Amino acid sequence: MLRFWPIWVLLLGGLFYWGMQRPNPNELKSVLKGRPAPTFSLPLLEPYRAKYGAEMGIREDLNRPVVLNIWASWCLPCRTEAPLLERFHQQYKDQVLFLGVNVQDKESEALRFVQQYGLTFPSVYDERGRIGIEYGYYGVPETFIIDRNGIVLERHTGELSEAQLQQYLRQVLP
Amino acid sequence: MKRKDMGLLRWLVGWLMLFCAHLVLAQPSPNTPPPDFSPRVFEIARELRCPVCQGESAAESNAGIALEMRRIIAEQLAQGKTEAEIRQFFVDRYGDWILYKPPARGLTLWVWLSPLLGLGLLGFGLWRYLARVGAQAKAPVADVSEEEIARLEAELHSPKRQS
Repeated sequence: MLRFWPIWVLLLGGLFYWGMQRPNPNELKSVLKGRPAPTFSLPLLEPYRAKYGAEMGIREDLNRPVVLNIWASWCLPCRTEAPLLERFHQQYKDQVLFLGVNVQDKESEALRFVQQYGLTFPSVYDERGRIGIEYGYYGVPETFIIDRNGIVLERHTGELSEAQLQQYLRQVLP
Repeated sequence: MKRKDMGLLRWLVGWLMLFCAHLVLAQPSPNTPPPDFSPRVFEIARELRCPVCQGESAAESNAGIALEMRRIIAEQLAQGKTEAEIRQFFVDRYGDWILYKPPARGLTLWVWLSPLLGLGLLGFGLWRYLARVGAQAKAPVADVSEEEIARLEAELHSPKRQS
Protein backbone atom coordinates (compact mmCIF):
# COMPACT_ATOMS: atom_id res chain seq x y z
CA MET A 1 0.00 0.00 0.00
CA LEU A 2 2.81 2.36 0.90
CA ARG A 3 4.26 1.94 -2.59
CA PHE A 4 1.36 4.11 -3.83
CA TRP A 5 1.94 6.97 -1.36
CA PRO A 6 2.11 9.70 -4.05
CA ILE A 7 -1.37 8.66 -5.18
CA TRP A 8 -2.67 8.76 -1.59
CA VAL A 9 -1.11 12.20 -1.05
CA LEU A 10 -2.63 13.47 -4.30
CA LEU A 11 -6.02 12.00 -3.42
CA LEU A 12 -6.03 13.50 0.08
CA GLY A 13 -4.71 16.82 -1.22
CA GLY A 14 -7.41 16.89 -3.89
CA LEU A 15 -10.08 16.09 -1.33
CA PHE A 16 -8.79 18.86 0.96
CA TYR A 17 -8.78 21.38 -1.92
CA TRP A 18 -12.31 20.35 -2.95
CA GLY A 19 -13.54 20.69 0.63
CA MET A 20 -12.12 24.19 0.93
CA GLN A 21 -13.91 25.46 -2.17
CA ARG A 22 -16.78 27.86 -1.70
CA PRO A 23 -19.60 26.67 -3.90
CA ASN A 24 -20.35 28.87 -6.86
CA PRO A 25 -23.45 30.85 -5.83
CA ASN A 26 -24.65 30.69 -9.43
CA GLU A 27 -24.99 26.96 -9.03
CA LEU A 28 -26.89 27.21 -5.76
CA LYS A 29 -30.57 27.13 -6.45
CA SER A 30 -32.50 29.79 -4.65
CA VAL A 31 -35.04 28.26 -2.32
CA LEU A 32 -37.28 31.21 -3.16
CA LYS A 33 -37.73 30.18 -6.78
CA GLY A 34 -41.38 29.41 -7.36
CA ARG A 35 -42.37 30.82 -3.96
CA PRO A 36 -43.97 34.16 -3.08
CA ALA A 37 -41.43 36.98 -2.83
CA PRO A 38 -40.97 38.17 0.77
CA THR A 39 -42.80 41.43 1.27
CA PHE A 40 -41.09 44.48 2.75
CA SER A 41 -41.26 48.22 2.88
CA LEU A 42 -38.13 50.32 3.29
CA PRO A 43 -37.31 54.03 3.13
CA LEU A 44 -36.54 55.28 -0.34
CA LEU A 45 -33.32 57.10 -1.08
CA GLU A 46 -33.94 60.83 -0.98
CA PRO A 47 -34.05 61.59 -4.77
CA TYR A 48 -37.03 59.26 -5.25
CA ARG A 49 -39.23 60.41 -2.41
CA ALA A 50 -40.91 63.22 -4.32
CA LYS A 51 -42.20 60.81 -6.97
CA TYR A 52 -42.71 57.54 -5.06
CA GLY A 53 -43.31 58.58 -1.41
CA ALA A 54 -41.29 57.93 1.73
CA GLU A 55 -41.22 54.14 1.52
CA MET A 56 -41.42 51.48 -1.10
CA GLY A 57 -41.05 47.72 -1.35
CA ILE A 58 -42.64 44.48 -2.41
CA ARG A 59 -46.33 44.20 -1.63
CA GLU A 60 -48.83 41.51 -2.44
CA ASP A 61 -51.06 43.96 -4.34
CA LEU A 62 -48.44 45.30 -6.77
CA ASN A 63 -49.99 43.44 -9.73
CA ARG A 64 -46.99 44.03 -11.97
CA PRO A 65 -43.73 42.24 -12.61
CA VAL A 66 -40.73 43.40 -10.61
CA VAL A 67 -37.00 43.34 -11.30
CA LEU A 68 -35.54 43.54 -7.80
CA ASN A 69 -31.86 44.44 -7.90
CA ILE A 70 -29.72 44.28 -4.75
CA TRP A 71 -26.71 46.57 -5.06
CA ALA A 72 -24.04 48.54 -3.21
CA SER A 73 -21.91 51.48 -4.29
CA TRP A 74 -18.67 49.66 -3.40
CA CYS A 75 -19.49 46.76 -5.71
CA LEU A 76 -17.73 46.95 -9.07
CA PRO A 77 -20.13 44.74 -11.09
CA CYS A 78 -22.97 46.96 -9.83
CA ARG A 79 -21.29 49.88 -11.56
CA THR A 80 -21.26 48.18 -14.94
CA GLU A 81 -24.78 46.85 -14.41
CA ALA A 82 -26.39 50.17 -13.38
CA PRO A 83 -26.52 51.80 -16.88
CA LEU A 84 -28.08 48.61 -18.30
CA LEU A 85 -30.79 48.59 -15.63
CA GLU A 86 -31.48 52.27 -16.24
CA ARG A 87 -31.80 51.71 -20.00
CA PHE A 88 -34.23 48.83 -19.51
CA HIS A 89 -36.17 50.83 -16.92
CA GLN A 90 -36.64 53.61 -19.49
CA GLN A 91 -37.80 51.08 -22.04
CA TYR A 92 -40.16 49.03 -19.85
CA LYS A 93 -41.17 51.35 -17.01
CA ASP A 94 -44.85 51.15 -17.96
CA GLN A 95 -44.90 47.38 -17.72
CA VAL A 96 -42.24 46.41 -15.18
CA LEU A 97 -41.20 47.88 -11.86
CA PHE A 98 -37.43 48.14 -11.50
CA LEU A 99 -36.65 48.41 -7.80
CA GLY A 100 -33.17 48.71 -6.33
CA VAL A 101 -32.25 47.70 -2.79
CA ASN A 102 -29.07 49.35 -1.60
CA VAL A 103 -27.51 47.13 1.07
CA GLN A 104 -24.64 47.46 3.55
CA ASP A 105 -23.65 50.84 2.29
CA LYS A 106 -23.33 54.42 3.47
CA GLU A 107 -26.32 56.45 2.40
CA SER A 108 -24.08 59.27 1.16
CA GLU A 109 -22.14 56.82 -1.05
CA ALA A 110 -25.39 55.34 -2.37
CA LEU A 111 -26.67 58.83 -3.25
CA ARG A 112 -23.42 59.63 -5.06
CA PHE A 113 -23.76 56.38 -7.02
CA VAL A 114 -27.34 57.16 -8.02
CA GLN A 115 -26.34 60.65 -9.14
CA GLN A 116 -23.24 59.44 -10.99
CA TYR A 117 -25.19 56.97 -13.12
CA GLY A 118 -28.36 59.08 -13.35
CA LEU A 119 -30.55 56.24 -12.04
CA THR A 120 -34.22 57.14 -12.29
CA PHE A 121 -35.65 53.79 -11.14
CA PRO A 122 -36.37 53.86 -7.39
CA SER A 123 -33.99 52.41 -4.84
CA VAL A 124 -34.66 51.76 -1.17
CA TYR A 125 -32.02 51.90 1.54
CA ASP A 126 -31.28 48.78 3.64
CA GLU A 127 -28.17 49.67 5.59
CA ARG A 128 -27.79 46.31 7.33
CA GLY A 129 -28.79 44.13 4.40
CA ARG A 130 -31.65 42.45 6.23
CA ILE A 131 -33.83 42.27 3.12
CA GLY A 132 -30.89 40.63 1.38
CA ILE A 133 -30.98 37.89 4.02
CA GLU A 134 -34.78 37.63 3.66
CA TYR A 135 -34.13 36.90 -0.02
CA GLY A 136 -31.23 34.56 0.79
CA TYR A 137 -28.58 36.61 -1.03
CA TYR A 138 -24.92 35.67 -1.32
CA GLY A 139 -23.52 39.05 -2.24
CA VAL A 140 -24.04 41.95 -4.59
CA PRO A 141 -25.27 42.33 -7.22
CA GLU A 142 -28.15 39.93 -7.13
CA THR A 143 -31.34 40.25 -9.12
CA PHE A 144 -34.72 38.63 -8.54
CA ILE A 145 -37.36 38.42 -11.23
CA ILE A 146 -40.84 38.46 -9.71
CA ASP A 147 -43.96 37.91 -11.80
CA ARG A 148 -47.19 39.90 -11.51
CA ASN A 149 -48.56 37.39 -9.00
CA GLY A 150 -45.64 38.04 -6.68
CA ILE A 151 -43.89 34.72 -7.35
CA VAL A 152 -40.08 34.63 -7.67
CA LEU A 153 -39.32 33.25 -11.13
CA GLU A 154 -35.56 33.69 -11.26
CA ARG A 155 -32.61 34.65 -9.17
CA HIS A 156 -29.49 35.95 -10.88
CA THR A 157 -26.23 36.32 -9.00
CA GLY A 158 -23.53 38.60 -10.31
CA GLU A 159 -23.62 41.10 -13.13
CA LEU A 160 -26.48 40.93 -15.61
CA SER A 161 -25.88 40.98 -19.32
CA GLU A 162 -28.29 42.59 -21.75
CA ALA A 163 -29.24 39.20 -23.23
CA GLN A 164 -29.90 37.72 -19.77
CA LEU A 165 -32.07 40.64 -18.69
CA GLN A 166 -33.96 40.51 -21.97
CA GLN A 167 -34.58 36.81 -21.46
CA TYR A 168 -35.80 37.31 -17.89
CA LEU A 169 -38.16 40.07 -18.99
CA ARG A 170 -39.62 37.85 -21.71
CA GLN A 171 -40.77 35.51 -18.94
CA VAL A 172 -42.79 38.17 -17.16
CA LEU A 173 -43.97 40.43 -19.94
CA PRO A 174 -47.45 39.70 -21.35
CA MET B 1 7.48 -5.05 6.37
CA LYS B 2 10.55 -4.13 4.39
CA ARG B 3 13.17 -1.79 5.82
CA LYS B 4 12.53 0.69 3.00
CA ASP B 5 8.78 0.72 3.77
CA MET B 6 9.46 1.27 7.47
CA GLY B 7 11.57 4.31 6.63
CA LEU B 8 8.83 5.70 4.44
CA LEU B 9 6.22 5.07 7.15
CA ARG B 10 8.37 6.91 9.72
CA TRP B 11 8.76 9.79 7.29
CA LEU B 12 4.98 10.01 6.69
CA VAL B 13 4.16 9.80 10.42
CA GLY B 14 6.71 12.54 11.10
CA TRP B 15 5.14 14.84 8.52
CA LEU B 16 1.65 14.07 9.83
CA MET B 17 2.70 14.97 13.39
CA LEU B 18 4.29 18.20 12.17
CA PHE B 19 1.13 19.06 10.24
CA CYS B 20 -1.09 18.38 13.29
CA ALA B 21 1.17 20.50 15.51
CA HIS B 22 0.90 23.30 12.96
CA LEU B 23 -2.90 23.03 12.97
CA VAL B 24 -3.02 23.23 16.76
CA LEU B 25 -0.76 26.28 16.79
CA ALA B 26 -2.67 27.94 13.96
CA GLN B 27 -6.04 27.78 15.74
CA PRO B 28 -7.46 31.25 16.35
CA SER B 29 -8.03 32.23 19.93
CA PRO B 30 -11.58 31.45 21.11
CA ASN B 31 -14.07 33.89 19.73
CA THR B 32 -14.89 36.28 22.51
CA PRO B 33 -18.30 37.76 21.90
CA PRO B 34 -18.70 41.52 22.08
CA PRO B 35 -20.86 42.67 25.00
CA ASP B 36 -24.01 43.11 22.88
CA PHE B 37 -24.19 39.45 21.82
CA SER B 38 -24.50 36.58 24.26
CA PRO B 39 -22.27 33.49 23.86
CA ARG B 40 -25.41 31.56 22.85
CA VAL B 41 -25.73 33.77 19.76
CA PHE B 42 -22.22 32.74 18.75
CA GLU B 43 -22.96 29.08 19.49
CA ILE B 44 -25.85 29.14 17.01
CA ALA B 45 -23.96 31.30 14.50
CA ARG B 46 -21.07 28.82 14.56
CA GLU B 47 -23.36 26.22 12.98
CA LEU B 48 -24.26 28.55 10.11
CA ARG B 49 -22.16 29.43 7.09
CA CYS B 50 -21.35 33.02 6.29
CA PRO B 51 -22.81 33.28 2.74
CA VAL B 52 -20.16 35.66 1.40
CA CYS B 53 -17.08 34.17 3.09
CA GLN B 54 -14.79 31.27 2.30
CA GLY B 55 -14.72 28.62 5.00
CA GLU B 56 -15.94 30.90 7.78
CA SER B 57 -19.02 30.56 9.93
CA ALA B 58 -21.40 33.39 10.72
CA ALA B 59 -19.77 33.52 14.18
CA GLU B 60 -16.21 34.04 12.94
CA SER B 61 -16.73 36.43 10.05
CA ASN B 62 -16.73 40.19 10.33
CA ALA B 63 -18.57 40.62 7.03
CA GLY B 64 -21.67 42.80 7.26
CA ILE B 65 -23.99 39.92 6.37
CA ALA B 66 -22.52 37.71 9.15
CA LEU B 67 -22.96 40.55 11.65
CA GLU B 68 -26.58 40.90 10.54
CA MET B 69 -27.10 37.16 10.90
CA ARG B 70 -25.82 37.36 14.49
CA ARG B 71 -28.15 40.28 15.09
CA ILE B 72 -31.11 38.26 13.75
CA ILE B 73 -30.15 35.34 16.02
CA ALA B 74 -29.97 37.66 19.05
CA GLU B 75 -33.35 39.17 18.22
CA GLN B 76 -34.99 35.78 17.76
CA LEU B 77 -33.51 34.47 21.01
CA ALA B 78 -34.93 37.53 22.75
CA GLN B 79 -38.32 36.68 21.22
CA GLY B 80 -38.07 33.26 22.87
CA LYS B 81 -37.45 31.20 19.73
CA THR B 82 -35.63 27.90 20.04
CA GLU B 83 -32.31 27.10 18.37
CA ALA B 84 -34.09 24.78 15.94
CA GLU B 85 -36.53 27.53 14.97
CA ILE B 86 -33.68 29.98 14.39
CA ARG B 87 -31.77 27.48 12.25
CA GLN B 88 -34.97 26.84 10.28
CA PHE B 89 -35.29 30.60 9.65
CA PHE B 90 -31.99 30.54 7.76
CA VAL B 91 -32.71 27.20 6.06
CA ASP B 92 -35.99 28.66 4.74
CA ARG B 93 -34.00 31.40 3.04
CA TYR B 94 -30.80 29.64 1.99
CA GLY B 95 -31.62 25.94 2.00
CA ASP B 96 -29.65 23.24 3.84
CA TRP B 97 -26.43 24.68 2.37
CA ILE B 98 -26.38 27.29 5.14
CA LEU B 99 -25.93 24.59 7.80
CA TYR B 100 -22.48 23.23 8.60
CA LYS B 101 -24.16 19.97 9.63
CA PRO B 102 -26.84 19.41 7.02
CA PRO B 103 -29.58 16.93 7.93
CA ALA B 104 -29.01 13.36 6.77
CA ARG B 105 -31.36 13.11 3.79
CA GLY B 106 -30.99 12.85 0.01
CA LEU B 107 -27.38 13.16 -1.16
CA THR B 108 -26.25 14.07 2.37
CA LEU B 109 -27.63 10.76 3.62
CA TRP B 110 -25.34 8.93 1.18
CA VAL B 111 -22.38 11.00 2.37
CA TRP B 112 -23.20 9.99 5.95
CA LEU B 113 -23.70 6.35 4.99
CA SER B 114 -20.66 6.04 2.72
CA PRO B 115 -18.18 5.12 5.54
CA LEU B 116 -20.55 2.41 6.76
CA LEU B 117 -21.06 1.15 3.22
CA GLY B 118 -17.29 1.19 2.71
CA LEU B 119 -16.78 -0.79 5.92
CA GLY B 120 -19.50 -3.22 4.92
CA LEU B 121 -17.94 -3.77 1.50
CA LEU B 122 -14.50 -4.21 3.08
CA GLY B 123 -15.92 -6.75 5.55
CA PHE B 124 -17.72 -8.59 2.76
CA GLY B 125 -14.56 -8.68 0.63
CA LEU B 126 -12.52 -9.95 3.60
CA TRP B 127 -15.12 -12.61 4.41
CA ARG B 128 -15.18 -13.80 0.76
CA TYR B 129 -11.38 -13.92 0.67
CA LEU B 130 -11.11 -15.88 3.92
CA ALA B 131 -13.86 -18.25 2.79
CA ARG B 132 -12.01 -18.91 -0.46
CA VAL B 133 -8.68 -19.49 1.31
CA GLY B 134 -10.38 -21.85 3.78
CA ALA B 135 -12.06 -23.76 0.97
CA GLN B 136 -8.79 -24.10 -0.88
CA ALA B 137 -7.12 -25.46 2.27
CA LYS B 138 -9.78 -28.12 2.64
CA ALA B 139 -10.21 -28.90 -1.06
CA PRO B 140 -7.28 -31.31 -1.59
CA VAL B 141 -8.50 -33.69 1.12
CA ALA B 142 -12.09 -33.70 -0.02
CA ASP B 143 -11.59 -33.66 -3.76
CA VAL B 144 -9.01 -36.46 -4.22
CA SER B 145 -10.72 -39.52 -5.56
CA GLU B 146 -10.16 -43.10 -4.36
CA GLU B 147 -8.41 -43.96 -7.62
CA GLU B 148 -6.03 -41.03 -7.26
CA ILE B 149 -5.16 -42.09 -3.70
CA ALA B 150 -4.59 -45.66 -4.86
CA ARG B 151 -2.38 -44.46 -7.71
CA LEU B 152 -0.34 -42.25 -5.39
CA GLU B 153 0.07 -45.04 -2.85
CA ALA B 154 1.14 -47.41 -5.61
CA GLU B 155 3.64 -44.87 -6.79
CA LEU B 156 5.00 -44.42 -3.29
CA HIS B 157 5.44 -48.13 -2.76
CA SER B 158 6.73 -48.94 -6.24
CA PRO B 159 10.14 -50.71 -6.42
CA LYS B 160 11.57 -47.80 -8.42
CA ARG B 161 10.84 -45.52 -5.53
CA GLN B 162 12.24 -47.89 -2.91
CA SER B 163 15.51 -48.12 -4.75
